[in-house]
Amino acid sequence: MKTIKILGSGCAKCKTLYQNTLEAVKQTGIEAEVIKIEDFQEMMKYNVLTTPVLMIDEKSVIKGRVADVAEIKTLLIQ
Amino acid sequence: MLIIQELCPTKTQEKIKSGALLVDVRERNEVAELAYDVPAIVNIPLTEFEERFRELPTDRELVIVCRSGGRSLRAAGFLLNNGYTDVINMKHGMIRWAQKGFPTIGDVSTVLDTAPAHQCCGGHGHHHEEKKEEVKKSDSTCC
Repeated sequence: MKTIKILGSGCAKCKTLYQNTLEAVKQTGIEAEVIKIEDFQEMMKYNVLTTPVLMIDEKSVIKGRVADVAEIKTLLIQ
Repeated sequence: MLIIQELCPTKTQEKIKSGALLVDVRERNEVAELAYDVPAIVNIPLTEFEERFRELPTDRELVIVCRSGGRSLRAAGFLLNNGYTDVINMKHGMIRWAQKGFPTIGDVSTVLDTAPAHQCCGGHGHHHEEKKEEVKKSDSTCC
């Protein structure tokens, strides 16, 4: 099972990335836990500068921008 | 737990007088519109920060600034995580700085307007509302 984390301060971009990620997980049918991290202290454990960040299994794959569903699907099946 | 020292713009004036270096992490276009007018300041946009933060001195007090205090908080945390020790975040950023009438170069209406173009992470919507609320709430407690 993959662990996916969305790190962001709760702004519109972060919410869009979260929703796109949920949709990508649904469309690919993979087993994944999607966790939203908005707490500043928690974010700083990952030394986040630009948000939102998409992490798959503890690796940052998107930083500082929104990815669309198709791009996230590609990242998920890699 | 990461502990980040924070100061309001008024208290930051004292730090500037005592030789602190301001580090503006806003993007270049934002700085071109409206800049902090202080003797010692560098601009390292947050989008370049990871590659360029080593340009910052380790032997000087750093006050990190941005538009509203959100991006600068993350940059301050990043510096502390990377071995810098004398790092302060300026709360409320350029918005409060301009409201207080501290020196700027450029058009202050870009931050004093109620519909700012840039947010802590480039987003719009309710987060902006939250930030405004936060500023309002702290009016009585911050200088």
